Amino acid sequence: MPPPSSLKQEFLKKWMMGLHICSSSKKNMSILERKKAIKLSADIALASARNGTTCWSQAIIVNASQDDQDKILVQHVLGRESERLMKKGSVLPLTSNKRIRSRKILRRSCGSIRRRARKTIATSPPKVVAISIAKKLIRKRTQLLKRLVPGGKFIMDEISLIEETLDYIISLQAQVDVMRSLANAS
Amino acid sequence: MSSRRSRQSGVSRISDDQIIELVSKLRQHLPEIRERRSDKVSASKVLQETCSYIKNLHKEVDDLSERLSQLLSTIDADSAEAAIIRSLIM
Repeated sequence: MPPPSSLKQEFLKKWMMGLHICSSSKKNMSILERKKAIKLSADIALASARNGTTCWSQAIIVNASQDDQDKILVQHVLGRESERLMKKGSVLPLTSNKRIRSRKILRRSCGSIRRRARKTIATSPPKVVAISIAKKLIRKRTQLLKRLVPGGKFIMDEISLIEETLDYIISLQAQVDVMRSLANAS
Repeated sequence: MSSRRSRQSGVSRISDDQIIELVSKLRQHLPEIRERRSDKVSASKVLQETCSYIKNLHKEVDDLSERLSQLLSTIDADSAEAAIIRSLIM
């Protein structure tokens, strides 16, 4: 994973590029229009900093390319890579052989509740109820996470989902830091 | 700790440690759990914290975009200020 400061620099550079393109193509935008332009440029800049190596960045690029106007912005900011990345079929197939097993490992690795529950599973039904409730919670929250991370619905196994989430959170933090510094400096 | 678990579970040690490492990395980035300093955080809790953290980050980006949009609209008229800010950024 590249160091955060170079990520911020890359993001800033691409974001400014996008902003200039937006403002040159349309003078006198309303506040709402400008806000959307700022946010769109920021998201595309963030995605291009990963250059299509992650599922979430590709999903952002593909989604933006659906709209004719936004597509132009994508092409300018991404440059040569844009044609390749805008194709929907190039979304990384993030399935793996470890599907069901990884789900079990994930639950086993987090917290000692599981191990205690396995030992007493024969003797105390309330623990069994607790496990099934926990399983439902995990399933529900995993679905929610998949909806929050762009392109999450294409990710099949939980290991990749966690990796994508991790990278996405780091990138979002960099995005927020840069935007906040700019807002405070103005 | 992780080796004890993998011996008991009988699953390949590599995937077990890999997931534990990923989850702990994830927890390091979540502001609330980091302060708690406990190893026994359940998976569902980590997922919940992650989801609410991402939602917060999205909201912050939205608020900052709004703020920047208002700021930029006020300095647009004065091109000298805009040029200064641009030169600071680039």
